[in-house]
Amino acid sequence: MTLMAIIILLFAGGILAWLSERYLQRGGHWIGLVSLLLASLLLASYWPYLGAAQVIGSGPWWDSVQINWIPRFGISFHLAIDGLGFLMLALTMAMGIFGLVMTWNDIHFRRGFFYFNYLWTLAGVVGVFTAMDLFLFFFFWEVMLVPMLFLIAVWGYEQRLFAAIKFFIFTQASSLLMLIAIVALAYLHYGNSGQLTFNYNDLLDAQLAPSTAYWLMLGFFVAFIVKLPALPFHPWLPDAHTQAPTAGSILLAAILLKTGAYGLLRFNLPLFPESSAAFAPVAMSIGAVSVIYGAMLAFAQSDMKRLVAYSSVSHMGFVLLGLYALNTIAMQGAVMQMIAHGLSTAALFALVGALQHRLHTRDMTQLGGVWAILPKLSAIALFFAVASLGLPGLGNFVAEFTVLVGSFRSSHWIAVLAATGLIGAALYALIMMQRGFFGALNKRLQKLSPQAPIADLNLRESCALLSLAALLVLLGLRPQPVFDIASPTVARSLAHIETARAQYAKDQGIGTRFTSQEQTWAKPHPKESESP
Amino acid sequence: MSTQELFAILPLLLLSAGIVILLLQVSFWRGHRSALATTLITLLLAAGSCFWVGATLSGGVSSVQATGLLLVDHTALFFCLLLLLTATAVSIMGYSYLRLRCNPERNPGSYPEEFYILLLLAMLGTTTLVCASHFATFFLGLELISLALYPMLGFAVTGDLSPAREQAQSLESAIKYLLLSALSTALGLFGIALVYSAGGALDFSGIAALMPELAQTSALFATGITLFLISVAFKLSLVPFHIWTPDVYQGAPTPTTALIATVSKGAVIGFLLRFFNTLDLYGSPVLINLLSIAAIASMLVGNLLALMQTNIKRLLAYSSIAHIGYLVVAFIIGKSTFGTEAVIYYLVAYIITTLGAFAVVGLVADSVEDRILKGEYPESPPSDADNPYHRDFYRGLLWRSPWLASCLAAMLLSLAGIPLTIGFIGKFYIFTAGVEGQLWVLLAAVVIGSALGLFYYLRLLLTMVQRDPTLTAESTGSVQIAVSGQWLLVVLTAILLLFGIFPQLLINWINAL
Repeated sequence: MTLMAIIILLFAGGILAWLSERYLQRGGHWIGLVSLLLASLLLASYWPYLGAAQVIGSGPWWDSVQINWIPRFGISFHLAIDGLGFLMLALTMAMGIFGLVMTWNDIHFRRGFFYFNYLWTLAGVVGVFTAMDLFLFFFFWEVMLVPMLFLIAVWGYEQRLFAAIKFFIFTQASSLLMLIAIVALAYLHYGNSGQLTFNYNDLLDAQLAPSTAYWLMLGFFVAFIVKLPALPFHPWLPDAHTQAPTAGSILLAAILLKTGAYGLLRFNLPLFPESSAAFAPVAMSIGAVSVIYGAMLAFAQSDMKRLVAYSSVSHMGFVLLGLYALNTIAMQGAVMQMIAHGLSTAALFALVGALQHRLHTRDMTQLGGVWAILPKLSAIALFFAVASLGLPGLGNFVAEFTVLVGSFRSSHWIAVLAATGLIGAALYALIMMQRGFFGALNKRLQKLSPQAPIADLNLRESCALLSLAALLVLLGLRPQPVFDIASPTVARSLAHIETARAQYAKDQGIGTRFTSQEQTWAKPHPKESESP
Repeated sequence: MSTQELFAILPLLLLSAGIVILLLQVSFWRGHRSALATTLITLLLAAGSCFWVGATLSGGVSSVQATGLLLVDHTALFFCLLLLLTATAVSIMGYSYLRLRCNPERNPGSYPEEFYILLLLAMLGTTTLVCASHFATFFLGLELISLALYPMLGFAVTGDLSPAREQAQSLESAIKYLLLSALSTALGLFGIALVYSAGGALDFSGIAALMPELAQTSALFATGITLFLISVAFKLSLVPFHIWTPDVYQGAPTPTTALIATVSKGAVIGFLLRFFNTLDLYGSPVLINLLSIAAIASMLVGNLLALMQTNIKRLLAYSSIAHIGYLVVAFIIGKSTFGTEAVIYYLVAYIITTLGAFAVVGLVADSVEDRILKGEYPESPPSDADNPYHRDFYRGLLWRSPWLASCLAAMLLSLAGIPLTIGFIGKFYIFTAGVEGQLWVLLAAVVIGSALGLFYYLRLLLTMVQRDPTLTAESTGSVQIAVSGQWLLVVLTAILLLFGIFPQLLINWINAL
């Protein structure tokens, strides 16, 4: 019931914030903050499970709630949480609070409606990360989109309408393909077993013909990599990020992109193991190309927000690469990358937002030498920029390194290709620092600064940013807890793949080669704990 | 005719009685409100009698054949109920529309009561149509609807205070509908004649008995059915028989537009379900191919043309073409696990949503008309932003009248098929039906159509939330709509959300049919 309470709390908080701003003209952000803190507190009640992830009770789930919803289709309101879900929810809450605190006084227009949309997006995301019924999953998948659409369309910058519609159509059209795949999966399972259900745990056992499974897998895959986003489906991202208000960008980058990666790991791999294994080389190539392409385009931007947006494409490419490398190290690395990228990119968007708030531009040709006037902000920006390029000792390095190590086992050349993306990352992160913060103060800013002294980061913003920095250092120096929490989920996804591979090998009569490989995968890898 | 048969057609009898009473009432005592009251009482009594008749049907007999012409069963009663409730909403919209424009105190030549008589006549037609089990009753029902609709479409012309331009458009829509409807009726009659000459029967069960030999051999029969289907497709405005739709929708008084978009289409769908089920036409590849092509064309053409519209009523017209296209996808798979259920659910979703959207448009236009009549507003709008039917009028509506805009937003999201609304469950049903029938091409068309549809629904939705620097919040003022209209919108939105979040309630009813 705790899970349901979290979702209800966020929905109710949104409505309350709206009403309070409407009738009292204040209190919106406090209501938002309090409901987020309460939700985090509820989430923290799962703390005891963290240590003893695998031993407890029934199956892999720490906690679940199931209520009949639409019996005609065998649809139930089924939420459950496990290690991966917990990590994602923790990230969601943390980034929700971070975004709220960073933009505490930024919103002036219809503040109540803003917090309403903000909290409803978060509620939808929590639903996505916990739904264990495919229909419910799709339901939340859509519920989180509409408020996000409003966030971009109402409080965004110049091109907001265009960006909002583009964002929505990309995600919605692709998710309709997923809906067809979900319905087809449930219907085929119905045909085989006589039981109509959308329950994830039941559908895991669905018997599918290989060609059908391949098509269904593609339906899910497209919806997820649009969200991720990976190469051919990324065009919505730079526009949406650039035009969204700062808080919206933080939500998008830190949380919404992760729903795509989460979907791949939770649904795509276990539901369609054979076809995923067969598709893995393609997916890995898409991931590697995204890494390089994102880095190249990020390098070419002069708009700082666009640069960060393209760097997201590059970083999420690592996630895709890691997930489809189909071994423990790489998949763990992908989970780590989801978290580390969430933290570092959220911070970068917040910094760009803070910069724009103060200097009214984010165009790097109009910036330069900002360090002189905003030393604190610039120093923190330097920290997150090097985090983003993967400096050892920080979370992103651990993530990218483990992904590369893992995928090198699966495919040497793709891993080598992706590794060159790291050079690109260094280039775009450093060029951003160089053009924006170092050097002589830009002439435009010289005119600006004497009249009204520009305030540097205040205590609230510094605390929020520094706590993210501390988290990144912590993840960089001691990543093992995250690996431990995520490992049961990753192991289960992998187990499905391996059974499928073994089955396939048996059918093909070339069992020996595959089984030997399988044993190497199954071995625990000592390396993963000592990577930094 | 036995008592049981008479009792079974109680809704039709009540409607007929209501029409007679209303005619007498109007000839002795003119009054707009009292006419509305009689209409509402008649409609609600007829709707209530559907439950009563339905309750007696449940014991043993599942259907009653009243003479050779009408067959009353649970499905027919469900459709009657749905359509009668829709008509109740339309009459409330009509009141708000006529109260200003057909005010006998300002203009002695106006007769707002006629509208309600015509509405009841059209409803008698629809209830006859959904109970029809014979080509004669089909024809009777269809013509009753059409004949009542012609004057309703042109209602703005006589004794009306509407601007001259609106009157001209209303006349145009009536004449267009008259000509094309007559043409389609002629085609349909010719089709019926061919079917009769091939089989020698006009009642559906009689034809069904002849089906095994007819379906295989008779070209005459196939031609007849195809012609008949074309006349029905015209009523449903399936592409390529859709040309009349935007003009008629745009020109007609908004309550009539709502009526033609919901009730007349709903009745035809109800009839088609029975016709195809009785004759088992789902097995005929020619008809199914024809319907598939029409469905794909409707989804694509409807959505593509809707992209270019700036007039809200035209936009909704094209979107309704597309929605009937989606509905036909579910219709094609016929008597399977989800087919009929999906059609009925989608139809309910379509009716509620379309009704709501037109209600908002109509009520907004009424509030503007009110200000025109008071002399606060220019009669011919100087710019698009002042034309209540233009998209620009809705700019920033959410900030000016939040509740009204929220209702419209809910309707638009439902039309676009976003969760929490009934439209999403409807779309889910379409997908389920399509997957069950393995209609992958049609499903692809649904996806493409929906993606296109999103664009124009969202554009309207985002127009409403735009923050406009030129408009200071309260200066242009909120849109004040009539209290009855507010209640109507609240009820429609509540139903939309209720069946969107707890669809099982409605599914249970549909399954019990």
